[in-house]
Amino acid sequence: MSQFLQAAAYGVVQGGLLGLVAVGFSLVWGVMNVVNFSHGALAVTGAYVAWVLNVRFGLDPFLAIPVVAIALFAFGYVVQRGLINLVINAPIFLTLLLTFGLNLVILNGLQLLFKADDRTIDTSYASQSFAIGAVNVPYGRLAACFLALGITVALALLMSRTRLGHAIGATGMDRGAARLMGIRARHIYAVTFGIAAALAGVAGTMIATVGSFNPTTTPGQLTLDAFVISVLGGLGNMYGALVGGLVLGIAESLGGLLLTGTWVNAIAMAVLIVTLIIRPSGLIGKALYSGRVEV
Amino acid sequence: MSSRGPLSAAPTPGPMADILRGRARSRQGLFVGWIRALTPANSWPALAGLLVFAAMLALQQLIEPGTQRLLTSVFLFVALAQAWNIIGGYTGYASFGQVAFFGLGAYTVAVLMNNYHVSFWAALPLAVLVGVVFAVAIGLPLLRLRGHYFAIATLGAAEGAREVINNLTSVTGGGGGITIPTFGSDAPTPYFGKPGFYLAFLVLAAVSVVVAAVLARSRFGYAMVAVHEDEDAAGAVGINTTVVKVVAFGVSAAIVACAGAFYAFQQIEFYPTDVFDASFTVLMVIMVMIGGSGSVVGPLAGAVGLQLLSQFLRVNLGNFNQLIFGAIIVLVVVFFPQGVVTYLRDAWRTRQFSILDNVRRYRL
Repeated sequence: MSQFLQAAAYGVVQGGLLGLVAVGFSLVWGVMNVVNFSHGALAVTGAYVAWVLNVRFGLDPFLAIPVVAIALFAFGYVVQRGLINLVINAPIFLTLLLTFGLNLVILNGLQLLFKADDRTIDTSYASQSFAIGAVNVPYGRLAACFLALGITVALALLMSRTRLGHAIGATGMDRGAARLMGIRARHIYAVTFGIAAALAGVAGTMIATVGSFNPTTTPGQLTLDAFVISVLGGLGNMYGALVGGLVLGIAESLGGLLLTGTWVNAIAMAVLIVTLIIRPSGLIGKALYSGRVEV
Repeated sequence: MSSRGPLSAAPTPGPMADILRGRARSRQGLFVGWIRALTPANSWPALAGLLVFAAMLALQQLIEPGTQRLLTSVFLFVALAQAWNIIGGYTGYASFGQVAFFGLGAYTVAVLMNNYHVSFWAALPLAVLVGVVFAVAIGLPLLRLRGHYFAIATLGAAEGAREVINNLTSVTGGGGGITIPTFGSDAPTPYFGKPGFYLAFLVLAAVSVVVAAVLARSRFGYAMVAVHEDEDAAGAVGINTTVVKVVAFGVSAAIVACAGAFYAFQQIEFYPTDVFDASFTVLMVIMVMIGGSGSVVGPLAGAVGLQLLSQFLRVNLGNFNQLIFGAIIVLVVVFFPQGVVTYLRDAWRTRQFSILDNVRRYRL
């Protein structure tokens, strides 16, 4: 029983983190109908920024978050404005292809700069843990999970309470009408992608704090996780991404306890496919925006 | 996907189209009709194809083993790109799980040859059968999904298939890999060697090109394009869209599984992560998109061009090769969003060669 509880607790904190990885991916997909293949690469870029700050200047990863977010936002804004906007009206798989090329460029750039070694950001507290009954909860993961929750709520508030959020939502729902209302779609798209990149960077920083990362295997795994979670949660739905992340995190840690080998991955894929067939709009409610491409 | 104009997708009707439509009734009439319908204008692609095939056969005698190996991989990707184009290009259902059929084909051959001592030629049709059966089994539920959802579901199916193979350790060897016996009395079929595989993959590439060309000019090909352009309208004019989609998926899977079977025998020893590597799927998509989807020449040019380019970069640029490769993909996507071959064809037809105009087409 305690083993079960331990796995569940680990699943919850891991799930919160996965939700943070997916929320930006889901936002971009929902608003722009772009499947961002380079999402995992952006997360790992953020992790490297925080790692460099930590190694060079001894900056705590949690304090490095604003720097990471601003750097990644700027990068994301420029990429969308200068590159992805150029093919945004093309058949949907072209944007996917473009982000795949971008993914290759970023990852190999990182690999040339930092080598392919596994890295981790060392802190004195991240691996410490406290006990609730028989369940051990590591501080680092718990903090990361709370941060993920906070950011998701903040993003949801941004989307529902601010002019910028409404502009993003409107552009996602009907770009033509949004432009007639005076919304600058090019700028809004770039801001959306910038936000997604910043969120990915923050998630990458957290992953680097509670675990390790490298430029070869981590990004692909993160992108795939983001895929699965976005579909489970429903596209463009902030809370959906969080729920999807929790479902995946708990399912993976409990599955790892009950099943031998990597059967858990096969089960995860089966769940994904069945979800797609039965409820393509995600587990909770309707997707906020149906990705549409218009003038 | 539907934003592509019908002009660029409609294949020109040829003699085969009449035959597949059943216009020529008697068997004699069918053959005579076919021959009569052949004119220099409509038979030159077939003649050009034959010439290229013959040239490739002759070339084999002239080149060294390293080049032979390179061309063998080019042929493999020609077959894979043509296969993806049938479901992703013509039918408009971008499958991101085609590598599942590749891996299943490879493992069927390896398991049969290794565990049951079956000859390669007996295992090959079974590998194709396994691929087709899996395609129909996942195609029936998944082909109801559209756009990205279909892409992700197929991606999930491929990942799932890999995990199943990975965990059936008693049959497949699991993550430890599998080895096909190729030497001595253990070998059910003697190893082909480099020249043998050059021939095998050349024939495979040629067959896949012919299958794609014949399919594209048949009534069925028009049905595929109709499903691509507007599925509801296609259904309304009496096309059984489910059958069209599943058959297109199955044909594509058959070619991919066949390629996987040959690849397995060529590699001798491999792991689930090798033959279920998602980058195979991604390469198929990229080659088709960069060449130009929905035509026979597009994927052919894309596969040949990209495979030669990536090999050239690998040899000449060392560590930077993947970086440059990615940058080239980005640039081609931005400047030729409809594919290089499609751009050239449309530019030739309309005499509009401006690349900047081309970029403006899909810009926000």
